[in-house]
Amino acid sequence: MALQEFLDQLDQLVSEAESTFNSAANTEALEEARVEFLGAKNGKLKSVQKLMGTVEKEDKPVAGKTFNQTKGRIESAFESASERIQGGSSDTERDTQFDPSLPGAGFKIGRAHPITQTIEELKDIMGRLGFSTADGPEIEDDWHNFVALNIPDDHPARDPLENFYLATAEVSTGEKTPVNLLLRSQTSTVQIRVMEKTKPPIRIISLGRVYRPDTADATHYPMFHQIEGLMIDTKVTMADLKSVLRLFATSYLGDDVTIRFRPSFFPFTEPSVEADYYWNGQWVEFGGAGMVDPNVLKAVGYDPEEVTGFAFGLGVERLCMRRHGITDIREFYKNDVRFLAQF
Amino acid sequence: MLVSWNWLKQYVALDMDREELENRLAMSGLNHEGTETVLDDFAVDLEVTSNRPDCLGHIGVAREIAVLYGLPLSIPTPNPQATGPNVNTGFSVTIEAPELCPRYTARIIRGVKIGESPQWMQDQLRTVFAPVNKDWNPVNNVVDITNYVLMECGQPLHAFDLGKLQGEQIIVREATDGEEFEALDHHTYKLTPGMCVIADANRPVAIAGIMGGADSEVSDGTIDILIESAAFSSMATRATSRALNLHSPSSYRFERALDPQGVEWAANRACELILEHCGGTLDDGFIDAGATTWQPAPVVMRLSQVERILGISIDADEVKRILLALGNTETESDDCSLTVTPPTWRRDLTREADLLEEIARIHGYEKIPEDVGVPMAASFRSDWDRVASKLRTTMTAMGFDESLTASVVPAAWTQTYSPWSVEAPLRTLSPMLKGADALRTSLVPSLLEVRRINQSLANPSVELFETAKIYLPADSGLPQEQWTLGITSGHGFQHLKGVIETALRSLKIDAPLTVETAEQDLLHADYCASLTLNGEHFGFLGEVNEAGLKAFSLRSPASIAEIRMDLLVQHSTLIPQHSQLSNFPAITRDLNIVLSESVRWDALEASVRSAVDAEQLEDVTYQETYRDPARDGADVKRVLFTVKLRRSDETMTSEEADGVRSEIVTAIESQLGGKLLG
Repeated sequence: MALQEFLDQLDQLVSEAESTFNSAANTEALEEARVEFLGAKNGKLKSVQKLMGTVEKEDKPVAGKTFNQTKGRIESAFESASERIQGGSSDTERDTQFDPSLPGAGFKIGRAHPITQTIEELKDIMGRLGFSTADGPEIEDDWHNFVALNIPDDHPARDPLENFYLATAEVSTGEKTPVNLLLRSQTSTVQIRVMEKTKPPIRIISLGRVYRPDTADATHYPMFHQIEGLMIDTKVTMADLKSVLRLFATSYLGDDVTIRFRPSFFPFTEPSVEADYYWNGQWVEFGGAGMVDPNVLKAVGYDPEEVTGFAFGLGVERLCMRRHGITDIREFYKNDVRFLAQF
Repeated sequence: MLVSWNWLKQYVALDMDREELENRLAMSGLNHEGTETVLDDFAVDLEVTSNRPDCLGHIGVAREIAVLYGLPLSIPTPNPQATGPNVNTGFSVTIEAPELCPRYTARIIRGVKIGESPQWMQDQLRTVFAPVNKDWNPVNNVVDITNYVLMECGQPLHAFDLGKLQGEQIIVREATDGEEFEALDHHTYKLTPGMCVIADANRPVAIAGIMGGADSEVSDGTIDILIESAAFSSMATRATSRALNLHSPSSYRFERALDPQGVEWAANRACELILEHCGGTLDDGFIDAGATTWQPAPVVMRLSQVERILGISIDADEVKRILLALGNTETESDDCSLTVTPPTWRRDLTREADLLEEIARIHGYEKIPEDVGVPMAASFRSDWDRVASKLRTTMTAMGFDESLTASVVPAAWTQTYSPWSVEAPLRTLSPMLKGADALRTSLVPSLLEVRRINQSLANPSVELFETAKIYLPADSGLPQEQWTLGITSGHGFQHLKGVIETALRSLKIDAPLTVETAEQDLLHADYCASLTLNGEHFGFLGEVNEAGLKAFSLRSPASIAEIRMDLLVQHSTLIPQHSQLSNFPAITRDLNIVLSESVRWDALEASVRSAVDAEQLEDVTYQETYRDPARDGADVKRVLFTVKLRRSDETMTSEEADGVRSEIVTAIESQLGGKLLG
């Protein structure tokens, strides 16, 4: 018998069996149908199986495989018809070998990196507070990483030892001093880029990798992640900053917290503060914050007499470590799959 | 900055509880780092931000306390009696490098008696120096006094043994290249241009603002001394200090913007104390070279700005009290504003915003509420975010863990595998991690390195993905940063291709994914492909070859894939649309086709699709490939697949399905030369 003919018979058998089982109205009719198709002696399936002997030898693997699939399909059609009629399983025979405590057929599930999980949660919380996510380049120029952020030439933050400057190829034209490129040392660069091309009001967060030449140890890594928030409008005050940070911390921690400001110093904010939250009986450092410095507003073409704004920045690794009890920042970048599987 | 509790008492009454004071200082800008007991004194460690060098001396800290508690501040007014001849007659100072040293003053005291400094001074110095330097000991009365004045007002001083200075002159100049200098710490430093030295007629006697020389220091045999009080460039001091890895209390202060008036005050204070405790005769006047031209300028503080920025209203009287107590002088005022001239020691106060911060921190940040009604605003989730999040869900559901690896890698890796760019990678001036100074142009080497690390931990299954940027050099402007999805698996090509196809399905990407053969050094010659999405280059996929495994010390097979995320965003369907489903059953037909090895599945599938009305063809599913060279000949294969057919208007009959199958067979025969088996 030709293979195709055999396969066609199987196809036909499935359709026939399915429609017969489906139209069986009661147990008796279904049993009759079962014998017709699945009967051990004279069932139709059995008859077709016998035809397999007449298929060419080289076609046997395909024929066999298809036959098994067909059998499975007819059986499951019977099962579902049986369940339909009885309102449950038709099994009456007991399986004494069955061990329900054996592990189920499991699926390997992967994990998002704990840093990503933290970032997603922070984005989610800030999204609910009206902050949209903005993205920007990791390789930046002087202007966005320093100048526009009110960090003058002689500021220690611009020291080559504090930054990863890129080795720039000699510019042959040599008309101007080549632009210094560096791996951004903060995500505030994104705020500048957004403000340069958007008019207020602005409510954004920027997140991502930042780079500072720290020797890697348990609490430092030369690459880490920051989340920075920026809100600019006509009437934004420090009370708004405190209130947004309180809502943020409360959402993140899942219970009411209170926020404290300590004076600090950042070139791009004035006043500048360190924000702490009170949690489990102690003050915990949250991050740096402040009111956007008028020089920054001017640098992006805003009028500091028209608009005000606040900005804050948090280290993602620190939040994540505290939340999950991770004591060594290097674990994040080692990617031991046993570590990843913990989250 | 360590301050001595007893020392502070000289300037302000400390009747308050110490811990309460420490807390108030922390809340007003001097973060309290800790306190330790030194003999009968307390060393209070306060963190001073770089904009507040005025608090790098006890007087500055005392002033903060006086302002916070509304207490009087008493600062000594030094008035040393000069009974000697005019100092300028026998000695001169020349500044040859004014950009490195704008002002240099010197006073001379002759006939001092070197000995021990008074006990109270030694005790106070011990409190501020001993906690950070266990070996600290008082030196002698003159040196102790210069250190005392440094810690009192923040202006560094240096005392030279006048007898050791040659040629009756001081020259402030740039160091020459390779010039050597033995400092007080008895180390010899090799200097370079750009560094500032204090020299006599013949040789350098100090590295300006950082450390004096070993052979001109004040010692037991010293009789006459020269007291240097100067202003040095903060940038140059910092650069020199860094370059020589030589840091001192003096350099720490010169790196910041010091009070220009401190130069004279400190010199006078030191002379007064030396005359009192070491005797001697002070030459009349100052040798004063150069000048500090900086003068504080008046700043207008509009009272309306307090509420506009801080969100709270503060009484005009309180605003005025705070500003004046901090040393600002009122030059003008009306109902809505106050004009003040900041004190010389507060060079950070140049704008209204700076004054606002002073008002806020002294008034108290705790008075700013944390429960104001911030207006609601809509936020937007970008398509990029949605795609990345969906992709992550799909990848983890398929059993892949997400890794995060460093953006900067060893340059050798970028030579091993860089399918996106033939340009040399961008380099950082200093390595980020050991040996890593190249911005990666592919995620693949990083992922293979993670495989290696996991292999070394005997972790059996390493299925990983990462979404990160790669950095491709550009001709001009900023380099191109390409968001990329990298995947690595222990399974083969087929498995990983399935992963990518599933990821595309999860994003509802209908754009066709096609594969072309490709050659990559790291990848197997056959099990390797370049991927195209909707005709655009999309990425690479392949099994790592023997050389590649060896390069990353991998013992087990590995496959990798890398694709562009921008195309995923571009082609994803984030808001899928419903289409009406047929209410009639589907019917399937299996086909077993014999055809040449050279015919790829994608050609076969295309041929099938060309033969059937797309409305009726629900699916073409590949099943298996068999080979039987004995019957079919060489280079021939049998491909088994299933077509699923369905009509939207009625049930498709068996006969119709057979008819469709015949059309498919005809198409395959004519287009590809394939034949239905049997």
